[in-house]
Amino acid sequence: MMLFRLPMISGALRALSAGALLLCVALPAAAGEMQETPSLALEVTAGKLPPVAERIPGDPLITDVDALKGRHTGKPGGTLRMLMARSRDTRQMNVYGYARLVGYDEHLNLVPDILKSVDVDGERVFTLHLRAGHRWSDGAPFTAEDFRWYWEDYVGNKDLSPYGPPRDLMVDGEGPTFEVLDDLTVRYSWKKPNPFFLPALAGPAPLYIYQPAHYLRHFHAAYTDPSQLAAMASAAGKRNWAQLYNSIDKAEYQDNPDLPTLQPWILRTRGTSDRFLFTRNPYFHRIDTAGHQLPYIDKVVFTVSGPSLIAARTATGEADLQGRYLSFGDYTFLKQKEKSSGYDVRLWRDGRSAELALLPNLNTAYPEWEELFRDVRFRRALSMGIDREEINQVIYFGLGIPSADAVLPESPLFDEKDQQAWTQFDPDAANALLDEMGLTKRDGDGIRLLSTGEPMQIVVDTAGEAQDQTDALELIAHDWLQLGIKLFIKPSQREIFNGRIESGEAIMSIWSGHENGVPSVGNPPWEFAPTTADQYQWPQWGQYFATRGVAGFPPDLPEAQKLLDLYQQWIGTADHDQRRQLWSQMISLYTDQVFTIGLISGAPQPIVVSRKLRNVPEEALWNWDPGAHFGIHRLDLVWFAQ
Amino acid sequence: MNGAPMTQGSQPPLPAGDEDLGHWVSNEPFDATYQPALSPAQQRYYSAPQWKLIWWKFRRHRLAVVSAGLLAVLYFIVIFAEMLAPYAPDSRNSQYIYAPPQRIHLFHEGEFLGPFVYGDHRKLDMEVLRRIYTENTAKPHPVRFFCQGDKYRFWGMVEARFHVICPAKDGVFYPLGTDRLGRDQLSRILYGARVSLTVGLVGIVLSMTLGILIGGAAGYYGGWADLITQRIIELLRSFPELPLWMALSAALPATWSPVTTFFGITIIFALLDWTGLARAVRSKLLSLREEDFAMAASLMGGRPHRIIYRHLVPNFMSHLIASATLSIPSMILGETALSFLGLGLRPPAVSWGVLLVEAQNLNVVALYPWLMLPVVPVVLAVLAFNFLGDGLRDAADPYH
Repeated sequence: MMLFRLPMISGALRALSAGALLLCVALPAAAGEMQETPSLALEVTAGKLPPVAERIPGDPLITDVDALKGRHTGKPGGTLRMLMARSRDTRQMNVYGYARLVGYDEHLNLVPDILKSVDVDGERVFTLHLRAGHRWSDGAPFTAEDFRWYWEDYVGNKDLSPYGPPRDLMVDGEGPTFEVLDDLTVRYSWKKPNPFFLPALAGPAPLYIYQPAHYLRHFHAAYTDPSQLAAMASAAGKRNWAQLYNSIDKAEYQDNPDLPTLQPWILRTRGTSDRFLFTRNPYFHRIDTAGHQLPYIDKVVFTVSGPSLIAARTATGEADLQGRYLSFGDYTFLKQKEKSSGYDVRLWRDGRSAELALLPNLNTAYPEWEELFRDVRFRRALSMGIDREEINQVIYFGLGIPSADAVLPESPLFDEKDQQAWTQFDPDAANALLDEMGLTKRDGDGIRLLSTGEPMQIVVDTAGEAQDQTDALELIAHDWLQLGIKLFIKPSQREIFNGRIESGEAIMSIWSGHENGVPSVGNPPWEFAPTTADQYQWPQWGQYFATRGVAGFPPDLPEAQKLLDLYQQWIGTADHDQRRQLWSQMISLYTDQVFTIGLISGAPQPIVVSRKLRNVPEEALWNWDPGAHFGIHRLDLVWFAQ
Repeated sequence: MNGAPMTQGSQPPLPAGDEDLGHWVSNEPFDATYQPALSPAQQRYYSAPQWKLIWWKFRRHRLAVVSAGLLAVLYFIVIFAEMLAPYAPDSRNSQYIYAPPQRIHLFHEGEFLGPFVYGDHRKLDMEVLRRIYTENTAKPHPVRFFCQGDKYRFWGMVEARFHVICPAKDGVFYPLGTDRLGRDQLSRILYGARVSLTVGLVGIVLSMTLGILIGGAAGYYGGWADLITQRIIELLRSFPELPLWMALSAALPATWSPVTTFFGITIIFALLDWTGLARAVRSKLLSLREEDFAMAASLMGGRPHRIIYRHLVPNFMSHLIASATLSIPSMILGETALSFLGLGLRPPAVSWGVLLVEAQNLNVVALYPWLMLPVVPVVLAVLAFNFLGDGLRDAADPYH
């Protein structure tokens, strides 16, 4: 088994071949060995569709299903039902389908998928090799032309991309040099390393650097008569052709049934609806060793329902596979209906570094709080004043892990010391730290006083979405009373919540920890340094970095600056060992400084799986990025036993 | 309204039976001062003061009397919630999360023990992730009366530990079960009554006062005063209520104590609620001020203030009472609805609305139905106020 971690590659040119995925597989199945998909057989005999051997690429991605843990070769057919909350959720099909140029496998290794292989040179030069004979879902060939189209006719067009290339294609403000080497090979090269490029291609809402040129040219002013386009735009209610183009070309939303795609399932329902039908892509590039074209399942149906009804409808057996919109609190209820509704409830693990975390706002607008939060003793005292085990028992039946905002044990960067930094429940030590800071004055109720003479009342903002957060806060409020600190909860809506944090109005918020709780050495450690404005613990510092000093303030805390320096060193090197060391240093520094107060990690996520469904893992990681929720667990391999 | 009613003159008996009456004229002289003799009961009735008449009439409205009794009990609870509740509202027991209501027994192995509960066998069912409680009938835990329990501050002032009812020393007492943090549902309902039932009262007093003052002025003076108040009322009424409430509740600082927040909400309610009443008062006054007695009072030198409140308002008191008692329940429901939507009171404050928020989800309906119990007092209080209002309205017009 040869599994490469892509971004580890340093200096030397190394190729990642599709073969890396194959496990003791014979060479690509010859045409004769392919089996026609029953649901397509009629169209093939009618001559509307070429036979399967001509539909798949000459060198398809072959998966030896039986070699994967707990999976077995399946039978094609069936309709998979899922519940969604909004019609915009058609984008989930793109997330779950997870056909990417390069994608993560279930062990979070980056491997080629749509691409046959990628050559990476010093993380600067990326040469992408396409599969010969790969076709779009409408049968048109998928070639280097589609990449050229994106780069020259989409990014290069001022009307379509007024802001230039997307962020992940920019290194120090410079875009890549793009070359078409031949019909099946393209190259992107930067002057400096771009470690963000491949992870962006593998994201749940990925960077699309290719577009179906043959379809989109009918909507592009350089290729189609402008007056005709103007008529089409006004007929569609759009201001101009660029707006029309952008509205039909939203690959990651998968909301246009006419847009050719490379995903396993194609949308068939037009417009908004409360039921969306997806059917199999007859030109999908993956096959199994038995000669079946993937995906096994013919149709996927999304039924749109109110988010609060989804658990109830799932319990009546209206979904064959459901994870989204189910929360841990629904588990007992779902489990009770397991037998009568014919499904299993499994518990997967949440992949964020912490399901719940408290984020003190180091950029708060209140100077007395700013001063306190910037004192590491205060952050440590708050962290040690929380009985995490009780939260775990009360809310998660002890199934979570009381933990700092570090990384999960599944990550190669895991260190128990970081996970447990300042998490021991020790009110005496916490009180001693607070006393040492000189916060000894208290009011009649025993609440410590701020420098302004007001009682120490921490208002924690919540986005008002999760019951877990409020419950945990009520438990923490009780714990912190022992420190002489009062806690109040302020629920609001997501937009107001974000606004209050950015303006510094909010002094502390409750949210989840780092999105990627299972990073590997090659994932940029941006979440551990002030790099973006949506980091609720230091929004202004993050914004300063993200906007290159246009907005926000530079970090003025030495430790935060140090994190940023380490991060930039990480970006600047491509050496695996050095990167590993920098990563570990950052996690240790971050957790030792308690910039965010992690509470519980690895919280269980209930997944409802119909008893007829096969090849859904018993235990797995449920994560957005990397993970794409069901994406890395290969929905194309799931099949119905009857 | 007071004194003996006018009577016709005395009449001789009419010719009897089937005799043809023909044209018949009595030749007795007409006695204008004739008064029939009143029985003592009649005398008592006719000379009784108005409040007595109202009381007599009200007493006959059974439902209203029962409702009044129930409300008296509820307000007794409001006053003495701290003592009546077996626990403090935020006292948690993480050993008893989602514990179902305990049965109260009287006899243990054939022996009378007084009210007691059995201890529990607690088990974590890790298969369905549910806490299972079964009665452990080996050992009874007798409930204690007039005892020392959780510490509290009576009315936020006097520190005390006295409770009317407490769990056994080494046991627990959850007659209505516990919630997701292991807090006693009964205690929380009792404490919740305090906020839920007083929001209504304080709010009504405030909005009645505003309504009568503003409506009274507008109706009596008319003209400009009327015009301006009418436009203000229209403006206030045209605001969409829900967003307005949302904005106002968001404006209440999070650091306010639950009591202050609740007071703020009450005032918000009252400031929005007076308009309907003001309109009613105004229109009543517009018609009443044209009556002769109002003219007479005015000619006798009565000042507007006296005329309005002495002569005019009592004329539609029944209407005021009815609308007041009928809008108390809408205030209670309003508080419940706002808290339910997460706009009104926030935990750790306890009100019936806050308690019902927890009953919002599916799990509660399916697994922990006792968390929906706060619905019962809400329904009872609202019904009681409605019946009481009904009875009062009937009674306020005693001669009808």
